[in-house]
Amino acid sequence: MSNRFSLRDLSLLFALLAIAAYFTYSVRDAGAGMFYENNPFLSARTLSQLVVEVSITAMLAVGMLLVILPGHIDLAAGSGVGLLGGLATVLINGTGWVTESLAAFHDFIARTFGPEAAGWCPPPPWPDPVAMLFTLVIATLFWGFMGSLIVRGRIQAFIVTLGGMLIFKGLFWNVIGSRTISVTGTTVGKTWAVTAGGETFQIPQDWLHRLTTEYVDARTGLLAAGVIVGLMFIARLRAWSRRKGLGIEGDDFELTFVKWLIAAQMLFIFVLVANQYKGVPLPAVLFAAVAFVVHTLTRHTRFGRHLYAIGGNEEAAIISGIRVQRVTIWAFILMGIIVAITGFMQTAYAGATTTVIGDLMELDAVAACVIGGVSLKGGRGTVMGVFLGALIMATLAKGMSLMGVGPEHKYMIRGTVLVLAVWMDTRLNRRAV
Amino acid sequence: MILSARQITKRFPGVTALENVSFDLDSGEIHALCGENGAGKSTLIKLLSGIHPYGSYEGRLEVNGEEARFRGIADSAAAGVAVIYQELALVEEMTVAENIFLGCEPRRFGLLDTARMHREAAALLKKFQIEIAPATPVSQLGVGQKQLVEIVKALGKQSRILILDEPTAALAEHEARILLNTLRDLRGRGIACIYISHRLDEVFALADRITVLRDGGTVFTCKASGTNKAHVIRNMVGREITELFPRVVRMGAGLKMPALEVKALTVADPRTGRERLSDLTFSVGPGEVVGIGGLMGSGRTELLMHLFGAWGHRMFGSVALAGKPLRAKTPAAVLSKGMALVSEERRRFGLVMEQSIGFNLSLSSLRKMSTLGLLSAAREHERNFAFFRRFRVKAPGLGSRVSKLSGGNQQKVVLAKVLMTDPSVILLDEPTRGIDVGAKTEIYGLINDLTAAGKAVILVSSELPELLGMSDRILMLHEGRISGEFGPGATQEELLAAAMGTPIALPARPLPKYLLPPALYLPTL
Repeated sequence: MSNRFSLRDLSLLFALLAIAAYFTYSVRDAGAGMFYENNPFLSARTLSQLVVEVSITAMLAVGMLLVILPGHIDLAAGSGVGLLGGLATVLINGTGWVTESLAAFHDFIARTFGPEAAGWCPPPPWPDPVAMLFTLVIATLFWGFMGSLIVRGRIQAFIVTLGGMLIFKGLFWNVIGSRTISVTGTTVGKTWAVTAGGETFQIPQDWLHRLTTEYVDARTGLLAAGVIVGLMFIARLRAWSRRKGLGIEGDDFELTFVKWLIAAQMLFIFVLVANQYKGVPLPAVLFAAVAFVVHTLTRHTRFGRHLYAIGGNEEAAIISGIRVQRVTIWAFILMGIIVAITGFMQTAYAGATTTVIGDLMELDAVAACVIGGVSLKGGRGTVMGVFLGALIMATLAKGMSLMGVGPEHKYMIRGTVLVLAVWMDTRLNRRAV
Repeated sequence: MILSARQITKRFPGVTALENVSFDLDSGEIHALCGENGAGKSTLIKLLSGIHPYGSYEGRLEVNGEEARFRGIADSAAAGVAVIYQELALVEEMTVAENIFLGCEPRRFGLLDTARMHREAAALLKKFQIEIAPATPVSQLGVGQKQLVEIVKALGKQSRILILDEPTAALAEHEARILLNTLRDLRGRGIACIYISHRLDEVFALADRITVLRDGGTVFTCKASGTNKAHVIRNMVGREITELFPRVVRMGAGLKMPALEVKALTVADPRTGRERLSDLTFSVGPGEVVGIGGLMGSGRTELLMHLFGAWGHRMFGSVALAGKPLRAKTPAAVLSKGMALVSEERRRFGLVMEQSIGFNLSLSSLRKMSTLGLLSAAREHERNFAFFRRFRVKAPGLGSRVSKLSGGNQQKVVLAKVLMTDPSVILLDEPTRGIDVGAKTEIYGLINDLTAAGKAVILVSSELPELLGMSDRILMLHEGRISGEFGPGATQEELLAAAMGTPIALPARPLPKYLLPPALYLPTL
């Protein structure tokens, strides 16, 4: 379980650079030069969009890692993205049968216990945070149920989530009434007044559409990058000195330092480039937070160890005293939460919920995992690898859009890249053994 | 000379697995290869079978007098070399005939010729005097029969050289005997055989010549008649083993409150609903080793798996740990109550093969190394390293993959993992199966240490000398029932008779008279 930035990750990085270079070259404005400002692929706006798209793809892929590690899969993720994004949108707009049911519930409580008692469950439209929280709860229930079916009912995850994919898709269309509903709902402009320290702040209620339209301003972004780089330095130094103290094999001081330096530079370049447009997009921050949590979960917690052990050898995991069922269900519940967050972001990025939101996103997530070195049999894979895999998939998609490649070719190219990546991976692995 | 390897040297990064090894095989000869795990036997076999291809080693390999340059298993198979591995490579869902002809199915007009396949399979089985119907699904066969099918499959492909890696490790005595007879028969037909086994009795009963490997080099090759067991063992380990079974019996062992008490335990197979364990009553005291023997399928493994909460549907009976009834029904719960299991199938139930030694060592004890679920790398490493040292696992470090370790070292990792949970009752299922003499001795020493610390041990073994040597008491199982209870002074014949369920009178230990119902009251002579 080496925590190191592996050779494999490095080769992915090179592949990514090659893809980016190709797009930079091929979409250049003839006669106007290849670099910056003039190049649509390298324009600040394109890069900013790319960041948002990568964040969304990578978010779902990182969740997918959690269920693939113990040897399962989630084919319902794409439909789930649509459904959960749609549910939140419906709740903030106060439309559809879900709203009607919740209103009926409110009336029932009010009739039975009096209007005061029904104060806790007002009928939609709800403020965005409330709608999102409600959706998150629904997501944990759905995914927890699928997880239970898989481990307790002993039905393969492929089947359970394939069923989920179809059911959620139908439910999604049902919930939004097969219409297009804008994410800028009735809450736009409304605020909560919060008084703290003698000052009154106005906290907006329209979170959903802000998810992909908010940016971290330039100065805060740089400051945050500085803090993160500093913390990273301290953490690396501590890990290095601990390794040295205990005599664990690992990177020496120079390599530790160089890696930190590279990571720090990349982060600063990222923030500087993002600042050329409007700043670091909020989805990137959200993804970073989720990725950090999942990385910590997989690498530094008992839960994560158990995921790897279950995927590596389920029977041995059981005999080793791991509560396989519980761990697996938790992996699915976390996946549900991540699907919901991705659903919010994807719907917000589209500006409205429509019947095609989330289509085939589960396959992008699986592809990102596989390209990133995750074994579909379970037991192998890292957040870093998945991130690079998602970066490749999203960059390809964006570049092809800019080049005006038709959707029919896009599908074929993405499929080819996926198979090619895995083929090369198995070849490289075989040689290394 | 049908096969010869000359001055073979094979290096892996950091290790020289074989150095200047020469080895030859005559047709119609059984040549035994002996050595501790890690001595280089597996590497040599992989070389002979083309898994380590030509060019990855130095030296010269000849088959039938011509240099062999195997690029893979297909090449070696074409040259007539067949390897029968410990882990069998049969397709469980297919019949015996289908397995024998897997990959070279007889065809007629492009379609499978099932009739011919069965006819030829039957002929082959008959030729080698193996009584298995060709239409039997392999899943219904015992391990020994599967092994025979595997051999027939190899011979069906005109193999002239058989390599058997620990073929009897998973077999009961009578199954092993059938296999050995088959091998003798094949020798008569001119088939050459490289035989690897840790059971020296078999080696001497079977082999024409013996080659001993140690630390990647040949120690000697000589006629079996020109050496003896003690000599071979001495050369395998390079040191004299004065006592193979150094059981230290503690006075007063088992007199206190039993650490584990099993009463009238009756368990059914959850799949078939058939009763597999019937009315088992026994107890194990602190500091005591209770040996459990029996043939394959007698219910030994099922008993341990059931006690550990991993198998079976309990119909009747109770289990108590240190006087308290044990209600835990899952391995995780049983483990937390202080009872641990080392399974006989370490690759299947013991290890996550793709992961490191450290990962596997701490897997059952992560709770002790974490705060609120967050692992402490320092605490984990400290504890892992202590056990890594104490068990003398031969590996470059905690980061090595367990799949790269030899069987003995893998077993040590499993044992260390289990003992790291600090259990009070330890269930050992064939803890020395398929591992070398040196590692065995270390494991026996470990059992003594455990009992000296007041732990209760159940030792399941199919090797009778091991049972006799290491147990304070021995229970024999036959078809899910206890068919005899013995002290360490029992003879192998007595144990075997009990294991086979032969109701022979054992004058040494008559049952107390008051336990017998009146109708069965027999006058003692």
